[in-house]
Amino acid sequence: MTDANALLLALSIPTVTMFLIAMSGSRPNIRDGISIVASICTFAVVLRLLESVMAGARPSVTLVEVMPGLTINFSIEPLGMLFATVASGLWIVTAIYSIGYMRGAQEKKQTRFYICFALAIASALAIAFSGNLFTLFIFYEVLTISTYPLVAHKETPEARAGARVYLGILMTTSILFLLVAVIWTWNLAGTMEFRAGGILEGNIDPAYVPFLLALFAFGIGKAALMPFHRWLPAAMVAPTPVSALLHAVAVVKAGVFTMLKVGTYIFGVGFLSKTGASEWLVWVAGASILIASIIALTKDDLKARLAYSTVSQLSYITLGVALANQMGVIGGSMHIAMHAMGKITLFMCAGAIYVAAHKTKVSELDGLGPKMPVTFICFTIASLSIIGLPPFGGAWSKWYLLLAAANAGQVVMIVVLMLSSLLNVAYLLAIPGRAFFAPPKKQVAHSLGAAASPSDGIEEAPLFCLVPICLTAIGCIVLFFAVGGLYEYLLSIPILPEAAP
Amino acid sequence: MPELLTPATVYILAAILLPFVPKGIFRQLVPVLVPFAGVAVFWTLQSGTFSSFNLMGLHIGLMRIDDLSRIFGLIFSIAACLAAIYAWHVRDTIQQVAGLLYAGSAIGAVFAADLITLFVFWEGTAIASVFLIWARRTEGAYATGMRYLIVQIGSGVILMAGVVLLYRETGTVAFSQMELGSLATWMIFIAFGIKCAFPLLHNWLQDAYPAATVTGTVILSAFTTKLAVYALARGFPGTEILIYIGAVMTLFPIFYAVIENDLRRVLAYSLNNQLGFMVVGVGIGTPLALNGTAAHAFCHILYKALLFMSVGAVLFRTGTAKGSELGGLYKTMPWTMAFCVVGAASISAFPLFSGFISKSLILSASADEGHFIVWLILLFASAGVFHHSGIKIPYFAFFAHDSGKRPKEAPRHMLIAMGVTAALCIGIGVYPAPLYELLPYDVGYEPYTTSHVVTQLQLLFFSALAFTVLMKTRVYPPELRSTNLDSDWIYRRMLPAMVAGLRHVITGTWRFASRVTTTRVDRFIATIYRAHGPQGPLARTWPTGSMVLWMAVLLGMTLVLAYI
Amino acid sequence: MTGSHSPRAEDPARFPWLSRHLLWTSDPSKVNRLVWALVILCAGLTLADFFYHKHSHFEIEQVPGFYGFYGFIMCAALVIAAKGLRVLLKRDEDYYAPYTVESEEHPEADLGRENIDA
Repeated sequence: MTDANALLLALSIPTVTMFLIAMSGSRPNIRDGISIVASICTFAVVLRLLESVMAGARPSVTLVEVMPGLTINFSIEPLGMLFATVASGLWIVTAIYSIGYMRGAQEKKQTRFYICFALAIASALAIAFSGNLFTLFIFYEVLTISTYPLVAHKETPEARAGARVYLGILMTTSILFLLVAVIWTWNLAGTMEFRAGGILEGNIDPAYVPFLLALFAFGIGKAALMPFHRWLPAAMVAPTPVSALLHAVAVVKAGVFTMLKVGTYIFGVGFLSKTGASEWLVWVAGASILIASIIALTKDDLKARLAYSTVSQLSYITLGVALANQMGVIGGSMHIAMHAMGKITLFMCAGAIYVAAHKTKVSELDGLGPKMPVTFICFTIASLSIIGLPPFGGAWSKWYLLLAAANAGQVVMIVVLMLSSLLNVAYLLAIPGRAFFAPPKKQVAHSLGAAASPSDGIEEAPLFCLVPICLTAIGCIVLFFAVGGLYEYLLSIPILPEAAP
Repeated sequence: MPELLTPATVYILAAILLPFVPKGIFRQLVPVLVPFAGVAVFWTLQSGTFSSFNLMGLHIGLMRIDDLSRIFGLIFSIAACLAAIYAWHVRDTIQQVAGLLYAGSAIGAVFAADLITLFVFWEGTAIASVFLIWARRTEGAYATGMRYLIVQIGSGVILMAGVVLLYRETGTVAFSQMELGSLATWMIFIAFGIKCAFPLLHNWLQDAYPAATVTGTVILSAFTTKLAVYALARGFPGTEILIYIGAVMTLFPIFYAVIENDLRRVLAYSLNNQLGFMVVGVGIGTPLALNGTAAHAFCHILYKALLFMSVGAVLFRTGTAKGSELGGLYKTMPWTMAFCVVGAASISAFPLFSGFISKSLILSASADEGHFIVWLILLFASAGVFHHSGIKIPYFAFFAHDSGKRPKEAPRHMLIAMGVTAALCIGIGVYPAPLYELLPYDVGYEPYTTSHVVTQLQLLFFSALAFTVLMKTRVYPPELRSTNLDSDWIYRRMLPAMVAGLRHVITGTWRFASRVTTTRVDRFIATIYRAHGPQGPLARTWPTGSMVLWMAVLLGMTLVLAYI
Repeated sequence: MTGSHSPRAEDPARFPWLSRHLLWTSDPSKVNRLVWALVILCAGLTLADFFYHKHSHFEIEQVPGFYGFYGFIMCAALVIAAKGLRVLLKRDEDYYAPYTVESEEHPEADLGRENIDA
């Protein structure tokens, strides 16, 4: 199998899976089995590709030439390979988890759910492998549309309203800003290809660079840069596996991945730092980090809190791009993996809590820890990783982002990252802290004694939910120790020598 | 593959395996025996750096053995073992695991040869230790733990930022002596200072230690602050500003200790005061002074643990550690009382007790260097510490006014832990040579000279006389149930009040502004509708007119959003 | 757990061995004797200063009884100053409640209360 064929295979497995799932809709066990097998196969193929890419191969396939210079092209480079690995790897975990969750929570229309899920994964992979802006834009929109039914899955008025906000913001920003930016870029550079070192240098008046960057930064609504972040909390009406994979991994990471890709392969890191065009983005990202954290602090709904935490964490990656140096790109890319591993664990824990105890609010969790020890221990581990504490993966991406901020001479951003850690402690660790150690709320005087008395036994979520949670939690620890290889790999992201600051 | 067998890994492995050990004597034995295994790992090694490897261009060294790290590693191991014996009755898995991880992190940090490893274990101590506070499982302990955690992790992130800046400046992350001067070293210094409870950065200590469980406080008292002292001694020996910081540290907590009611908090204040001595020693930075710091840390961990153990035993049996509620306990807890008196005598530096042979090194070093004012302050602080820790703790707990409480003597394992610790305190005091042997520098010092013994006894007995006179004349402030304001008032009361005020102002302004805008926008839309609506005059040119309008709106929005 | 109570009929003979030998500390006249002993000890220590060569760093140390007087005066000053501070710093025990352990009872689960009937 050539690399190019493997590439197409990786994209087609989830696509074919859609039809298989649709056909086996009446037999849930077979349907769920298919989605697990498909996820494993996809991951295997992606790993095969990863091996080639690490060996230096850069496979490329052109599918269609819409008109001269406008092609649907897939080419793999290290950054996209990283995103594809993360997305397809975590698909396996989520596929297993979905079975436990969807059955445990007795959700309806599960077949539609799995179909859309597979489509979303296919488009995430297509985004990861896209070789030019045009391809990326198309699959970016496909991803938005394919996830709409997932967000509105419950079909309640609340879910529909949330999904409308979701679709509204993502479509509006992508058409109003991203499309304009893409066309502008094409116009300027005469190509839309992702090239090492960027395609814009020499083709654009430096005075316009900040504006073009702004169109990209806000146009990529999936990166949830403030003030276009509202869709992310709105999407939390979706079932938890959706929040876990899509709104912790595939969708939002597609956003920040696009941001990284545009920064590295369209603008070029050296060009950005030379023109200082991304200086303003540093401040917007920094503000986004802090404001989202502060909002998260005030949220009592567990998933809303995690959503705002995601908004804050995504801005870490945007910040990495905006700092415009190699360490920033490495830190940002690393954070894709680290944050994905941590956040998916947190969301899956939130789902497990919902399935096992039917609780959605942080304030209702007091005393739940001893009943669901595994869930809450994993929650603690993932929280620590998100905060950026050792020995968990998040510590390293934070280290490189700090280094990037130091390299860019942005002392204020160092302070922002530090404050963000402390805010993360306050809103994330408070959850397992209260669950394990806060005394259960005093019973209201008139409540019936027997009914209100808590039972002591362990009441965990089904094993299908628990195993994936443990896997990703362990992943957070493994990433800390295995970072050396990841770092070596990320060094292969081509970055032309940067201008001295 | 680097050799990963370090004392820290022994502890961490034990902590991971502990929940799987069947409950009962075997599980209780694990925390007691692990420290022996930990010591066995490093004790026989020659000085040098072990377990070093290269990670992403950073030189990581997990285990640096030299005289300074060896003595701290040893005393941390002893403290971990004694605390585990003291906590024999605890069946709470969380506390056992947290205790092991905490001790392991502290020991790991002591052996760290590079700042990354230091940072990893630095945060490790912060995370693991908070569980000992939360394990009390009350609303107040939860809130206190959260405050503690944020301060501790704050210290960690400042350390990380400092290390990043230092790495960028110097290209190395080796943990060696640093000069204050750049932002990087100042940040590292502040990070150490927070854990070391520098004045105004100190309050997490007095806030958190009395909030932990009975056994948790004993463990807490040993590690975090002494790790910070070690880090200062390693990173900033001879930094002059430390002398003055240390002098202030010895001074102000004793005032609080006199009026504090909770005896565990009194001990926390006196812990802070004792840290001041060590910090002064680091600041002076001569071999004698650094020896003094190491020796004092060694002795201090023992006698402070002993004091916390005895007050903890009182709390364990009576349910309170407040001076106002206690008294007369010698009648039924005589052994606890006796061990408490040994701890009190040690902290007060009575001749033949451990404090005497360690504190005098620092005092002599300060006098040698001619720091007269600092020397006077340290002398005052020595008298003061005798006053509040040496007399106040045993007096109000075990004598004074008979509270009528007749608790049973502390359980046997607690008595054993206290007994061993007390024996060590006396043993070191009577025969200091083995301890002096372990000190990092080769300096001859003879603590038992006539001048020294007589002057020290004068200082102590006259202080005792002052206490007696003040008690007899009823000038001495009675123990009252109360809260004393300290620097934590700033972040517990002042800042929240300011934030609330600010929020009030912002929401008020926001409401006003949005009301004004809404009415304006309504009016604007109404006007436009009148002009462009189906009946409006511009309706005749609808297609072009509204197209232009919408384009204008779109462009305007783009412009505005681009500038946000 | 009672705060104040009338001296109940206790049998000192049932106190532990060490306690029985310390019962004199509850007798004011015997405590007074101890105080006098302390005074004499202090006086003796001051006098002792005249009988040996004091090894010192600072001149002030050569003043006979310097350490004693310094200790006495500073300790008295410490207590009086602290008492003054109390005026400024003392608040109710539940000043920070409920975010403090000050106003709570120590949870029984962490304790091993046992009384003995002497």
